[in-house]
Amino acid sequence: MAFSFPDEVLEHVFSFIQSDKDRNAVSMVCKSWYEIERWCRRKVFVGNCYAVSPRMVIRRFPEFRSIELKGKPHFADFNLVPDGWGGYVFPWIEEMAGAYPWLEEIRLKRMVVTDESLELIAKSFKNFKVLVLSSCEGFSTDGLAAIAASCKNLKELDLRDCEVDDLSAHWLSHFPETYTSLVSLNISCLGSDEVSFSALERLVGRCTNLKTLRLNRAVPLDKISNILRHAPQLVEFGTGTYTADVRPDVYSDLAGAFSSCKELKSLSGFWDVVPDYLPAIYPVCSKLTSLNLSYATIQSPDLIKLVSHCPNLQRLLVLDYIEDSGLEVLASSCKDLQELRVFPSDPFGAEPNVSLTEQGLVAVSLGCPKLQSVLYFCRRMSNEALVTIARNRPNFTRFRLCIIEPKTADYLTLEPLDVGFGAIVQYCKDLKRLSLSGLLTDRVFEYIGTYAKKLEMLSVAFAGDSDLGLHHVLSGCESLRKLEIRDCPFGDKALLANAAKLETMRSLWMSSCAVSFAACKLLGQKMPRLNVEVIDERGPPDSRPENCPVDKLYIYRSIAGPRCDMPPFVWTMDEDSGLRL
Amino acid sequence: MELQLGLALPPPPLIPIETFDLNSYGNYETREALGSNASSWPLLKLGPAGNDINNIHHHNSSSSSSSSSGGGAGCKKRSFDEAPFFDEKRNVPKTLHLLLWTNQPNDEDDDPSNVLHENSSSAIFKNDGEGLVGWPPVKTWRKKVHHQIPNGGAENNRLPAVENGIGGRASKSTYVKVKMEGVPIARKIDLSVHHSFDGLTNTLMRMFGISDGNRKIFKLTYQDREGDWLLAEDVPWRTFIRSLKCLKLIRSRG
Repeated sequence: MAFSFPDEVLEHVFSFIQSDKDRNAVSMVCKSWYEIERWCRRKVFVGNCYAVSPRMVIRRFPEFRSIELKGKPHFADFNLVPDGWGGYVFPWIEEMAGAYPWLEEIRLKRMVVTDESLELIAKSFKNFKVLVLSSCEGFSTDGLAAIAASCKNLKELDLRDCEVDDLSAHWLSHFPETYTSLVSLNISCLGSDEVSFSALERLVGRCTNLKTLRLNRAVPLDKISNILRHAPQLVEFGTGTYTADVRPDVYSDLAGAFSSCKELKSLSGFWDVVPDYLPAIYPVCSKLTSLNLSYATIQSPDLIKLVSHCPNLQRLLVLDYIEDSGLEVLASSCKDLQELRVFPSDPFGAEPNVSLTEQGLVAVSLGCPKLQSVLYFCRRMSNEALVTIARNRPNFTRFRLCIIEPKTADYLTLEPLDVGFGAIVQYCKDLKRLSLSGLLTDRVFEYIGTYAKKLEMLSVAFAGDSDLGLHHVLSGCESLRKLEIRDCPFGDKALLANAAKLETMRSLWMSSCAVSFAACKLLGQKMPRLNVEVIDERGPPDSRPENCPVDKLYIYRSIAGPRCDMPPFVWTMDEDSGLRL
Repeated sequence: MELQLGLALPPPPLIPIETFDLNSYGNYETREALGSNASSWPLLKLGPAGNDINNIHHHNSSSSSSSSSGGGAGCKKRSFDEAPFFDEKRNVPKTLHLLLWTNQPNDEDDDPSNVLHENSSSAIFKNDGEGLVGWPPVKTWRKKVHHQIPNGGAENNRLPAVENGIGGRASKSTYVKVKMEGVPIARKIDLSVHHSFDGLTNTLMRMFGISDGNRKIFKLTYQDREGDWLLAEDVPWRTFIRSLKCLKLIRSRG
């Protein structure tokens, strides 16, 4: 006997379900749930902007208020994706402008955003509230001025890690004097050295709900006190340049200003740090849960002092100046630490410039019981250390290790690091993200294929011996969504033998590997729901023999078919590619 | 290179999993029967007691203590044999493959993936001698910060308004090629993080591994927009920055 709740009841129940995965699951239960769900989905997440067309999204979800789109592959962060590859947001804004006058939130990652797009946003969405641009490019302060001028209900403007053309610092003044709704502002990426301080101070002063403010490097240290005094309710704050001549009045002003911020939980910025000014933040350190010192070129003793004042730290980003000794102090002081990122201060130097080794990571994994996410750059590693780390900390969900010199062996035994990473995947059963480095054979991939059942994203560089390695991963990693590979001897066999697996993943990136043009064509012909893109700046792939390896290959599942906005150095292999090329 | 089609593209309904033998790859006995490339790799057994990394037979014994169980007899088989990893509802063929995984050793002469394997180690360096792109994987704007002198000195008292107005990334690429005489591989260097010849020279010396004592042997030259090669030290920094196209370190003569 069929029994069902009235639609309104189901809709009410669904309103408590926010995560995309759960929403997607709900929509697959039956046709009527699909229908109800699609009408009441308010937040849409599109992990690859080319996997679906704007029209398809709009057709399926007629009433969403918030959209998140991601564009370029992750390796674009490291200059591996040539400029002009794609990821343009304008077609999406254009379609949504017509369909959703009530759109409130747009979050974009690694997309090309033009001033035209920003102006269209400003013009089209009357109740626009949130704009988060992460690692985006293509716009200038003119576009920002349009947003500032028109979006009266704007709550959040976050430009993290964007590349912005700074034409004029005065875009900030385009926020009208009547505008007071700002809650979060992140302009840390802006380069302009003429931020209008008075405009900034006035803006901060009248937006009494401001909780997050991340300034850019151009804001001098002596301006911070004023800003902080205007916004003692701040929860997250990013300084500008943290340098000035050491003067007692400036110092006490600063220390007083920080003391007045009783809600501060997160600090960042700290470009060009002068250590003498660091103690000014001690009053807030005991409440800090997040600290980003990854631009702070201060040495280990100062870092140690600082970190010792922060017992409640959950997230720390720091340069390798912290050294093993600093990490040992971190391990003993910060028992709530969940995420640690250690960046290289001298990534291109041939010799180590700091005393940071695998020991620091071992210490932290031993001392911090809640540690689950790590990004660690170092110059040496051993299987022994990795096994110890894995056993100490089986609760890792993200483990990204970058040994700076490619193909570096275990420094104690000179063996590959297969066994060490094998331990990581075997012990850390909830591992979702893994980045490999060092000397690695096909064996590490066998371990990964066998044990890393929850792994969703894998990054591989300069590793493996043969197609067997890739085959292990593609055939074994059940939860794999994103695979990115560079400079590995993986070729056609593993790829073709696991063609269907690729439809279950979001994307696969392979550059400087051994996949032939012929294999790409075959894949494109036979797999209509995959877009197989060959990226090659050397010229058309058919001007070389078919068995020649392609330079870069980006394969992603899509129901939108091949895209139409490709630059001259990108070729899509589709059903006709055998005929056309 | 001939690509064997394992099977023609199936019609939309699911194909029973038994039709394909790809998954028999999970059978270790098959693998052991094959040639040297397919030697069995007993899986790592990591028991709770002690640091018992097993000695894998084709590697030298590791430094840690080994437990008594060797080999692959007690190995955990892959679970994907037991549970299909495709969601049947999604109508994706379970194991469509466009090439039967034959598991033969990769020793055919005309197998291009062999040829490419030899070349792939040199794939690290691109044909035009560009050097390693995108490695180490550090985002562009982080690279800039790290080139600063850590303990300040003149840097700390400078206004933040540096020449290129760096707060975040400069909007145009500021990388130039650097070659050193006698070294076949060129490198790339980000000019926007340097503000003086001293800083630039320091970075270059480090990049090419030249010790302090040997610094005097090298001179920095650059090629300007007209194609002429000039000595870097002969011009002011601003002129140098504006007109240079690429750099070269040469050994000074006499």
